[in-house]
Amino acid sequence: MSDLDDFKATYFDECSELLNELEEQFATIEAGDRSSERLNAVFRAIHSVKGGAGAFGFSELVAFAHAYETLLDRVRDGKIVLSPDVTKLCIRSNDIVADFVNAARSGEALPSDYGSEEKARFNALCSGDDDGGEPIEEFDIDFTPVMVNLDKGDDDAPAEVNMDAFAAPPLADATTWEIRFRPHSELYARANDPQLLVRELATLGELTVKPVFDAVPPLADFEPFGVYCAWELTVVSPSVTEAAIREVFEFVEGNCDLKIVQLTHAAPEPEESIAPTPSFADLMPEAPALELMPGADEPAPSFADLADSVVAATPPKQPAIPIRTEPMTPKAPAATEAAPASESEGERRNGIQSIRVDLDKVDRVVNMVGELVITQSMLTQQMDETLRVRYQELVRGLEVLAQTTRGLQDSVMAIRAQPVKSVFSRMPRLVRELAQKTAKKIRLETIGENTEIDKTVIEQLSDPLTHMIRNSADHGIESPEKRLAAGKSETGVIRLSAEQAGGNILIIVEDDGGGINREKVVQVARARGVVGPDEILTEEQIDQLIFAPGFSTADSVSDISGRGVGMDVVLSNIKKIGGSVHVRSWTGRGTRMTLRLPLTLAVLDVMLVRVAQNPYVVPLSSIVETMQCSRASFERVPSGGKVLQVRGEYVQVIDLCDRFEMATTVDEKSRFVVLCEAEGSMRVALIVDDIIGQQQVVIKSLEENFESIEGIAGGTILGDGNVALIVDVQGLKSTRLRRNAA
Amino acid sequence: MEALGFRDETADRSATAAQNTLQLIAFSIGEQIYGVEITTVREIRAWNGATPLPNTREYVRGVINLRGTIVPIFDLRARFGDGQTSATKNHVVVVMSVGDKWVGILVDAVSDILTVSREDIHQVPESNSIDTELLNGIVTHDSRMVGLIDLHAVVRGARTDA
Repeated sequence: MSDLDDFKATYFDECSELLNELEEQFATIEAGDRSSERLNAVFRAIHSVKGGAGAFGFSELVAFAHAYETLLDRVRDGKIVLSPDVTKLCIRSNDIVADFVNAARSGEALPSDYGSEEKARFNALCSGDDDGGEPIEEFDIDFTPVMVNLDKGDDDAPAEVNMDAFAAPPLADATTWEIRFRPHSELYARANDPQLLVRELATLGELTVKPVFDAVPPLADFEPFGVYCAWELTVVSPSVTEAAIREVFEFVEGNCDLKIVQLTHAAPEPEESIAPTPSFADLMPEAPALELMPGADEPAPSFADLADSVVAATPPKQPAIPIRTEPMTPKAPAATEAAPASESEGERRNGIQSIRVDLDKVDRVVNMVGELVITQSMLTQQMDETLRVRYQELVRGLEVLAQTTRGLQDSVMAIRAQPVKSVFSRMPRLVRELAQKTAKKIRLETIGENTEIDKTVIEQLSDPLTHMIRNSADHGIESPEKRLAAGKSETGVIRLSAEQAGGNILIIVEDDGGGINREKVVQVARARGVVGPDEILTEEQIDQLIFAPGFSTADSVSDISGRGVGMDVVLSNIKKIGGSVHVRSWTGRGTRMTLRLPLTLAVLDVMLVRVAQNPYVVPLSSIVETMQCSRASFERVPSGGKVLQVRGEYVQVIDLCDRFEMATTVDEKSRFVVLCEAEGSMRVALIVDDIIGQQQVVIKSLEENFESIEGIAGGTILGDGNVALIVDVQGLKSTRLRRNAA
Repeated sequence: MEALGFRDETADRSATAAQNTLQLIAFSIGEQIYGVEITTVREIRAWNGATPLPNTREYVRGVINLRGTIVPIFDLRARFGDGQTSATKNHVVVVMSVGDKWVGILVDAVSDILTVSREDIHQVPESNSIDTELLNGIVTHDSRMVGLIDLHAVVRGARTDA
């Protein structure tokens, strides 16, 4: 892989994080939080996406992001109100940005006019507020030099900027420091840049900068390398000390005149300062003011700002235009609230120390730790009583080893754990699209998105969740008219939640729709032979039928209003990662689907059994009980098969030797029954030759070098180095369903 | 082990090997000699049993643990339709990469490394469907016929329900 590809991969990684953040921020904005910090985060995210896209030459993405950014910028400046309509447009735009990013990643081409409609709306919105004229350009993200429309003379736009500038009064109990900074030519000769110093100062508190031109000589005496400009800077911050300010100038000490004075009082009321507006034109020939713009690399000299600084300079010791390290909101109270918030945000960002590690590397560690855990438990098993008495030191060592490996395992798993947020955050978009397509009103609520699960589990979660939500939206939630008729609110709710329950994670998708149409499900099931004509099913069993493979082919199921599309995908994906799916439905009130997932895929607790001399393992989580065949009560059914009676319930019997086409040498009476729970409350009794014991194993894929085999979920390596196969209980059961259906 | 002996020889020859020559690992099943390209071979090891896989064809002998990875073993004799090999410790498993998968094939013995010219590879006569299905070509070495195994064909369709 070339360096560029590496960079690209990193960029796309970052993009998906940024897009997730966008989704999050807009979720809060939609909920009514209009704080500037939100907008700033959105702006930052889009800006970062755009920046990287520019570097890689994704021109369509850049163009769209640019237009979007322009809109955001105006919203941020308060020139466009963040109405629900605009919010909607923004959310739609996030989706488009995501599409562009995906297209760039996969190299697919999107329609050439993709997003042009939204772009047109951006432009319409932006030009709509444009009466103020060009000064808006001052905030243009292209970092073009700032222009003031001189023809307009006393244009009211600068006054508007003015308002902004004074809108944020200094903090009540803030300390004000005045700094007079006059650099010598040596300072420049040593490649120092006052701009950097000013930026540094800006991190200390609210900073205002005023240039001093008293030393500028007549043009005739002007020396090309002469230094004629000085600055008066004012820092307002409750916590800053003289030492901190001195530290900023540490490297230029001796190369400049520096005077730091503490002022006792904060600036007076802003209103007073606006009053004398000097003639704009008079100020123009003066040298540029120094201004930092958010995200700008070069300070753009701005006449508008210069006007401000002079306005501010008229009354003595007044702050000039504040340096915009954080963009201001037009309303003063909001700004004062936002300032500390943004500071703590910044601190938080700096505080998080993280590194980006290739997932492969982590996976290798996880796998090795998995092996270590197995080896350790194997060693412990080898210690019999006589050895224990003879080698007590060894035993103690093994105990410590056991503890350490457990600790190691937990820590390693924590590295790979991720909040489910990364999957959940894709769902709002899905719901929006579905709502639009189906002309329904749907609200998505997410709960517990910070619940952490192993990354490998999360990856497997996206498809099933998509299918489940699609089903809820498509078949669960009714049309607005129907809902109103049923006395429900017009807007349907899909609730997506995650929580930890013991060693499992529960992911629940709930809707308040019409519930499963059981009559039709049974009808289809009977027609397809999934259910025998005389079989009477409980409601729960019927609900569970929607997961049956072969049941959910598109034709038959789109006809019924019950669920089914893609639900076998849900089941098979979840099953693959050792989880289970349960569905519960209440007619007219909604449906709840619960995914039960293991916390980790690395290690599985199993029962080791023997089937015709070969080792097999059955996941412990699916085992209900075990018993000897001699104590079990089998009954014959007309088909010639057997059923097992357990506490009044009849359970299907699967003899693993028969199913796997192997001959057993063990006497019928001394074989064992392993009663397992398949999906929902369906049970199945497996007959095995012997039960060897319990242990932990690392799951290995058969597909890696071979292909999947029905009834086998994978393989694992035992302590003696042999391979044991993992029995797929649900798979064995569905084989029967399919055979019957065929 | 035999494999070590091969390695020295391989190093010598690969230095002189021209573009249009092919190096084969030759192995025997009964009297017959077959070969696979040496670059596909990952490892040669003695037969030490395998865990049988249910619901697979008889030529799938099962899976083994190759340093933590599960690798399927194909019985080449059974694949050619001559019944399962009654494998002993003297039988050999040649582990090879086929596409991005690793598979082992069970053979009677590994006999030699052959260098043949690509021009000397003959087409398989259309006599028997299983020959054309499983062989890529035929070369002559020391006046004996060596069948070039098509690994992809050997591995294909191993599930009984497929």
